[in-house]
Amino acid sequence: MPDGVAIRAQDLQKQFRAVSAVRGVSFEVRAGEIFSLLGPNGAGKSTTIAMLSCLLQPTQGDASVCGHSIRQSPQRVKACLGVVPQDIALYLDLSARENLEFWGKMYGLRGATLRQRVAEVLAIIGLTERQKDKVGTFSGGMQRRVNIGAALLHRPDVIIMDEPTVGIDPQSRRHILDNVKELNRQGMTVLYTTHYMEEAQELSHQIAIMDQGKIIVCGTHAELIRLVGERTRLDLTLHSEDDALVACWRSIAGVHSLSADHGRLTLLVDDSNLVLPRLFETAAQVGVRITSVTIEEPNLEAVFLHLTGKALRDAL
Amino acid sequence: MKTLTIAAKDLKHIFQSGFSLVMMFGAPLLITGLLAFAFGGRTSGTDTFNLPVTRVQVVNLDQPAGADPGFAAGKLLVAVLQDPSLSDLLAVTLAADEASARTAVDEQRAGVAIIIPPDFTAAATSPDRGAAVVIYRDPTLTIGPGIVTDLVRHVIDGFSGAKIAGQVTAEGLSAAGAEADQALKDNIIRAYTAWLQSDEHGAEGAAVPRLAVVAPTGAAQPKSQGAAPIGPIMAGMLVFFVFFMGGNGAESIIREAEQGTLARLSSTPTPLAAMLGGKFIGVMVSLGLQVAVLLLASILLFGIQWGQAATVMLVSLGLIVASAGFGVMLMSLITSSRQTGPVLGGVMTLTGMLGGLFTTTIPNIPAGFDRVALLTPQGWALQGWKLALSGAGVGETLVPVVVMLVMGSAFLAVGVALFRRRFA
Repeated sequence: MPDGVAIRAQDLQKQFRAVSAVRGVSFEVRAGEIFSLLGPNGAGKSTTIAMLSCLLQPTQGDASVCGHSIRQSPQRVKACLGVVPQDIALYLDLSARENLEFWGKMYGLRGATLRQRVAEVLAIIGLTERQKDKVGTFSGGMQRRVNIGAALLHRPDVIIMDEPTVGIDPQSRRHILDNVKELNRQGMTVLYTTHYMEEAQELSHQIAIMDQGKIIVCGTHAELIRLVGERTRLDLTLHSEDDALVACWRSIAGVHSLSADHGRLTLLVDDSNLVLPRLFETAAQVGVRITSVTIEEPNLEAVFLHLTGKALRDAL
Repeated sequence: MKTLTIAAKDLKHIFQSGFSLVMMFGAPLLITGLLAFAFGGRTSGTDTFNLPVTRVQVVNLDQPAGADPGFAAGKLLVAVLQDPSLSDLLAVTLAADEASARTAVDEQRAGVAIIIPPDFTAAATSPDRGAAVVIYRDPTLTIGPGIVTDLVRHVIDGFSGAKIAGQVTAEGLSAAGAEADQALKDNIIRAYTAWLQSDEHGAEGAAVPRLAVVAPTGAAQPKSQGAAPIGPIMAGMLVFFVFFMGGNGAESIIREAEQGTLARLSSTPTPLAAMLGGKFIGVMVSLGLQVAVLLLASILLFGIQWGQAATVMLVSLGLIVASAGFGVMLMSLITSSRQTGPVLGGVMTLTGMLGGLFTTTIPNIPAGFDRVALLTPQGWALQGWKLALSGAGVGETLVPVVVMLVMGSAFLAVGVALFRRRFA
C-alpha cells in the first residue's frame, strides 16, 4: 500500500436532497490498524463506509482504498475490500457453504482455491459443523458470523464492518470481536463502525467519533481520554427532575458538564468524592430524592459528552 | 462466469420454492384439465369423444289399415330409432303403454318417451289426415332429446314429402284436364315410403341427390378428436403462467434489493450488467424449462398435438423472450416487493384477458376483440400457439414470433434502463 495508508478519506460529503448525511469527513487508516468510527445512529458512519465501499458516489471529496480512488477505480477498490453490511445480506434459503461459495465466486475465486477458502472461513466463523444447514435456520448470531465470513473469502487487504454486533447475544458478540482481533493480527486492516463505546475501546488502535455527519475528534483511545483529563463520569437518577436543582448543580465547583434527560443526569466531575456530597446536600435542600448513582472512570462516553454536551446513549 | 453463477443461484431459488413450482407446472395443467372437463373436452388418455347414451322408451300405438296393409309408419319410425348405427347414442326400448313410458321419464329411468299415435300410418299415407307424435322428455337433458327430436322429425318429413308429392301430382293432372284417382295417389305415397325404408337414398350410385360425408386422409389427419378443443385451452394457460413466472422471476431483483444482497453484490467486483444479465438468464432458463415441461406434460396427459417441432421451438422462443422482457419491465416499475402480488396478479390477469387467454373456448369472438388482443404480447403469443396447433409451418408463424421477440427486447431494454438508473 502506498505510504502505508490503507484508507485515506478527503473531505467526503454526501447530500441526500435537503439532508447532509456526511459533511466533510477526512481521516486516514494506516495499514494493519483497527480503526473505529464511533457515534450514535444517524451520525453518518454507514453513509461514510457506503462511499468507501463504492456503493454511494460522494457528493464531494474523494477517498482512496489500497491506493485506488473510489471515484476513478471502483472495481479495483472493491477487489481489495471485504464489506460486512450492517444487516444480514445472505441468501437464507441456501446453506452456509452455498452462501460462502456464491460470494467467493463473486470475488473471483474458483475451483480448489474456492473450496479451500470456504473450508478455512467456515472454521474461522466456527460453523464447520453446520455448513450444510440453511442460513435461514440459524440464530441471529450465527447469521452474523456467516455475514462476516462472506467478506473474508478473498483475503481482502481491508475489511469494512458496519456495526456487525447489533442485536446479537453476548456469546456471538464475543466470538465476532475475537475474530476481528485475530484477523487484524494476521495483518488485515479493519474499519469498524459501532455505537458501542466498549467495542471501540477494546478493539481500536484509532477511534474517530462522529456526530451529525462530522468527525468531531480522532485519535488513539489514550489521546481521546486525555481530552477529558481525569474526569469521572457520574450517572444519577432523580425521583423527579427539577430545573432549579440542575441549574444549581451546574454551578458547583468541580462539575464540568451536565446533561439531563427525564430525570437521568450525566455529569463529568473532577473528583467524585468531593462533588457527590454537594450533590446530595443540594438535592436534600430542594426536596428531590436521588434514587441511583453510578460512578465511572474516564471513558469514550465521557469524551462524547465532553465534546457534544450530550451522552452517547441519549443520542442513539 | 459470474453471470452464470448468479443465474444458477436464482434457478436454485426458483426450483426450491413450492409456490414457484405450483405456478409453473401445477396450476396450468390443473386449470386446463378442469376447463377441458367443464367444456366437454378430454379428461383421460382415451382417443375418442363420447356423448352419453340416451335411454328412449317408445310406445307404438300405430294401427295400420288401408290400401297397403304391409306398410306401417309406426313400425318404420321404431326401426329407424333402433338402427344399429345409433346404438352408441340411443338405447331404445318398447313400452307397453303411454303411462308407463311417461313414468319412466318422470323417474329418470329414461330420457325421452315417444308416443306414436294409433292413426300414424293413416296420417302418413292419407293426404287429408294428420296425427301428432308426442315426445316426452326429461327437462334436464339437452343433447339426447335433441337428437331424438331430429330423428323423428326426419322420418315425419319423409312422410310429409310423400304426401306433398302426391298432392302436386294430383294438381298437375287436374290442371291438364285429367283426374288423379286415389289409387294413383296411393301408389306415389307407397313408392316414396318404400324408398324411405330402403337404403337407396343414402347409397352410392343412387339416382338422387346424395350427401357424402368424408374425412381427410393422410399424415395431416389429427390423431385425436379430443386434442382439438383442449389445445387452445392449454395454449392460453401456458401463455398466462409463463408470463406470470416471467414477472415472478424478475421480482428477485426487487427482493434482493430489500434483503441487502443486491447492495452486497454491488460491493463485490461484479459489474451491474453481469448482475442483471445473470438475473435475466435465470428467468429465461426457468421459463424455458417451464415451457418444455408443460408441453411434454400436456402431450402425455391430454394428447395435445402441438404441431411441427420447428414451429413449436420458434413459438416457444418468442414466448420466453416476450415474457421475460415483460416481467423485467414490470418489476422495474415497482418499488417494493409488497407491491409485487397485486401488480403482478393485476397486470398479468388484465393483459391476459385482453390477450384472449381465458376465452379460447368461446367460438365466434368478435373481430374487434382479436384486434385488441394483438395490442398485448400475450395476444401475439396465443396467436403463435394457435397457428402451431393448426399445423402451421415456420414461415406462417414468423410474424407473431418476430413481434414477440421485438416486444420482449423492447420491454427488456426499458426494464434494464430503469433498473440501472435505480441501482447505479
